[in-house]
Amino acid sequence: MIPMKKPVNRVKRKENLAGWAFIAPTMIAFLILTALPFFIALFLSFAQVSYFKGWDTLKIVGFQNFIDIFQDKNFVTSLGNTFVYVVTIVPLSIILSLVFAYCMNGRIYGKKFLRMAFFIPYISSIVAVGTVFKFLFREDGIINNILINLHILSQPIKWAMDPRFSKVPIILLSVWASIGYQLILFTAAMQNVPVSLYEAAKLDGAGSFRQFWSITLPMISPTIFYLLITRTMAVFKIFGSVNVFTMGTAINSNRSVVLEIYTTAFSKYEFGPASAMSMVLFAIIMVVTGINFFGQKKWVHY
Amino acid sequence: MKTGYRRHEEFVKILKTLIFMAIGVTFLLPLLWMISSSLKTPAEVFQQDFHWLPEVPRWHNYKEVWLDSEVTMARGYLNSIYITFFSIAFKLFFASLAAYAFAKIDFKGRGVIFMIFLSTMMIPTEVTLIPRFMLFKELGLYNSRWAIILPNWFAPGAVFMLRQFYMGLPNDLMEAAKIDGAGHPRIFAQILLPLTKAALVSQCVLSFVSCWNEYMAPLVFLVKKNLYTVAQVVQWTMMDEAARTDLTMAASTCAIIPVVIIFMLCQRYFVEGIATSGVKG
Repeated sequence: MIPMKKPVNRVKRKENLAGWAFIAPTMIAFLILTALPFFIALFLSFAQVSYFKGWDTLKIVGFQNFIDIFQDKNFVTSLGNTFVYVVTIVPLSIILSLVFAYCMNGRIYGKKFLRMAFFIPYISSIVAVGTVFKFLFREDGIINNILINLHILSQPIKWAMDPRFSKVPIILLSVWASIGYQLILFTAAMQNVPVSLYEAAKLDGAGSFRQFWSITLPMISPTIFYLLITRTMAVFKIFGSVNVFTMGTAINSNRSVVLEIYTTAFSKYEFGPASAMSMVLFAIIMVVTGINFFGQKKWVHY
Repeated sequence: MKTGYRRHEEFVKILKTLIFMAIGVTFLLPLLWMISSSLKTPAEVFQQDFHWLPEVPRWHNYKEVWLDSEVTMARGYLNSIYITFFSIAFKLFFASLAAYAFAKIDFKGRGVIFMIFLSTMMIPTEVTLIPRFMLFKELGLYNSRWAIILPNWFAPGAVFMLRQFYMGLPNDLMEAAKIDGAGHPRIFAQILLPLTKAALVSQCVLSFVSCWNEYMAPLVFLVKKNLYTVAQVVQWTMMDEAARTDLTMAASTCAIIPVVIIFMLCQRYFVEGIATSGVKG
């Protein structure tokens, strides 16, 4: 038996070596660029350091950073703002793209043009379309002009300055820019629904709305759930559009968590508190992932 | 009876088309406004009495954005192309290697390592950004385009998607090659990799869009104006003291044109890439 064992072991060892060699580049990139920075960030969230005075200023402060950031009005406000973005952008964009996908899945002309019209905003640079929306929503901009001409407004709204309205352009921009992506996923899911189900429903006299409610919706519920989760995570990390809109303004009613992390870290160079903020963001993402993990079986019909 | 039903269906189809054409055109209006404004004078852009077409189209705006300003779009294009090219080339190569290993090589620790890679997708890049800033500063990569390129090389999403693709390729292909004495490198490079072309193109177009539009990392790492990416050039044009709205819209148009061209050419790959990466069964 002993001489038999050797070649088997050698084959096994060769497979192991080959496997490790193939994943080596990804592994090295992972260790240096994700794993190591993650643990440094975790460490920094419990420490304070004056970065430009050198590492000897580093001291461990325990949970002080977390206590500080939750007493920091700017951070708490940004957290609240981000929640508002999530509960507006996610449902609005999912419902709209669901309806669009359902209607466009049936008989309609010009599908190619429509797909392009909805998809181009999604692939466009957020800075580019952000500046466009910023100009459209200027006080003397075209949106105010239209609303005044339609007698919806009597005087222009200061979209950039008024805390009551400052989130509106960002919400509209985010919904506008994400529909194309969701449309593709919903269309793909709807095309997988067996036609025989609709035919059976038609024989039973179910109308278009009833078919949507009782067949389409349950059959594509995995996709709805998937988008709900991934879009929620994405909007919690909203940054680009917010950064473009807040540039040159002094209000904080539309600032997001990531913008707060970014300014705390790279304008004020307070790496400890900024890392603590990023850990709060990470915890939120973990909770959403947890909901995904445990909720999938409960709510999703396969 | 039947023709009446058909006529009714045709009517619904035309009605639906009209409604959705209106919605589709509305979706494009902001971009049309952008193009229209990019050809106007600064005064015309916010003129109260609005016209879609400028009196005289000022193509000169584009020349100014591309060549004449302090931060030129020409430089921005060069930097963005450089970053995008080296990001995608290595990302796809490394991800293909790893995907092949996870799908076709039975090595120790395969399951565990794969799970670890997947779970890192939960970590927001914002979390690792501050330590990466310190690290890159130590390594002299601050104000270097490689600070943007290197982090793109770890791509668990691409590994996951390509692995699915490799798992769908039959093992007989490999077994035959193995009997002929081919090792994993040859099987990978000569037999299986060429078969994943469609998945690679999908990954390539999606990666192109995300690299081209990358915003936060350049803001953090590229502070020198001659290193600005396209997105930063747009931002600079907007925040510049002159604050020329016409030039900003010309810059925005320039930032969007490449992705629109790629979309027109590779529509199918966009749709397939998104559909396969997004649908979980």
